[in-house]
Amino acid sequence: MSVFFLLKEGIVGLKRARLAAVITIVSICLSLSLFGSFTLVGYNLQDVFNRFYKKIRLEVFLDSSLGLDQLEKLKKKIHQNPEVEAVEYISSQAALQEFQKTFGQDLSSVLKSNPLPASFRVVLRPKYTAPERIEDLANRIRRLPGVQEVLYQKEIVRFLHKYLGLGIAILLIFAFLILVVITILIFNTIRLTIHSRMNIIEIMQLVGATNLFIKSPYIIEGMLQGLLGSLLAVGILALFVSFIRDVFYHGIQVPPHLYPFLLILGTLLGLLGSYISVNKYLKY
Amino acid sequence: MIELFNVSVQENKRLILNQVSLRINKGEFVYLIGKTGAGKTTLLRLIYLDLYPSQGNIIVENYSSATIKRRQIPYLRRKVGVVFQDFKLLPDRNVYENVAFALRVIGASRREIKSRVLSVLTQVGLNHKRYHLPHTLSGGEKQRVAIARALVNEPFILLADEPTGNLDPEASRDILELLEDINRSGTAVCMATHNYELIKLIPHRTILLDNGEIRREFSPAEVQQLKVIE
Repeated sequence: MSVFFLLKEGIVGLKRARLAAVITIVSICLSLSLFGSFTLVGYNLQDVFNRFYKKIRLEVFLDSSLGLDQLEKLKKKIHQNPEVEAVEYISSQAALQEFQKTFGQDLSSVLKSNPLPASFRVVLRPKYTAPERIEDLANRIRRLPGVQEVLYQKEIVRFLHKYLGLGIAILLIFAFLILVVITILIFNTIRLTIHSRMNIIEIMQLVGATNLFIKSPYIIEGMLQGLLGSLLAVGILALFVSFIRDVFYHGIQVPPHLYPFLLILGTLLGLLGSYISVNKYLKY
Repeated sequence: MIELFNVSVQENKRLILNQVSLRINKGEFVYLIGKTGAGKTTLLRLIYLDLYPSQGNIIVENYSSATIKRRQIPYLRRKVGVVFQDFKLLPDRNVYENVAFALRVIGASRREIKSRVLSVLTQVGLNHKRYHLPHTLSGGEKQRVAIARALVNEPFILLADEPTGNLDPEASRDILELLEDINRSGTAVCMATHNYELIKLIPHRTILLDNGEIRREFSPAEVQQLKVIE
């Protein structure tokens, strides 16, 4: 069997059923672009989400009576919690300076002694971001001797967790639905293409072409359509990303391997779609 | 050699062929006649295994409908040429390509394709129109292309299902003469038709099908007595 003839028939097939091929390519391109942009948005939301979380700190205010040894021990104890990434000591002096920096007011001119307690600033690992987990950690630290109070931005943690998490879940569901729709769409358009060429398949069967020989051009054609459609989709997404980066949001990130993934997905869908459709029309 | 043993075909609870036994010998010319719906087309489809019998067995050369594997069917089809009333040509390919198609899809070499296509086009008298597209040809010429495509694989039998159904009397006669020529060169021909006047021109063994059964067989001499029964 000549591979050259098969490849030629595949390409000629694309040319012959130009309209059907264009429709297939465009629908693959549109659905993959849509799928890609949903993935893109989801990924960047997650990224923003993570960046917010990285800024969340627990402020652990300490008894002023603690000695250096005790401070050191306490720091170690806090650090032992699995949720804790780092613990930074802020002396009451440093806290005062920070206050002055932030508010531009010199407290020492109003008050004789420094009212700000020393504290530990606890940085969290991004893995443990559920509000209950953070609250639990805060309670555990609160119970340690020498700790006066633990504060953090509870409301923001709650908000982020609730809405951004929900948003990402919705996006993922949509992306999945789009994937299902693309699959059905591709199967159907390729089935239409093949249906429009029933006579050629019939003749091939009549003159004794083998099954594989009849299928191959359609499968090659389907793959080419999938590849072209996904290439277009990747082009559109790349343009979209660079536009967003230039105009709206500088920090936009492309998930690693998104483009190759889309190319492989499109090609595979084209291949599978044509394979299944052509099988439907072959009697033996 | 083709042999049918007590073949029945049932489709949607309707009996299309009922206990048909028939033998077509090497190099024979056989007419299948009968009304529309008598089972002529079904009988032909059985021979190229486009259809399996519900009962009975069909032997085509070395293949048997009872034991043939699906992947062997293409190889059987290469030994059986088929033409139809509606020609079934590929409208976007010229005469040469339509005929060559039958060889390309079985992986023949380019040189072989060229020599065999040109020779078979000469045989059907269409060499001079080999670059024409089907829509520029007359009905008779289209059928010649279809016959050339069926012959290019050098089958041992040519099945023709109402090959003159769409043709005027003169073109019909030409096609019949072509089939006769083909038969003389050693290929068996089995032609389904309901044009009784036509078969009287070149009489052969004739089988009358009625309601899915073989009603009667006529020898070439008896063919002249055939009356239109439709």
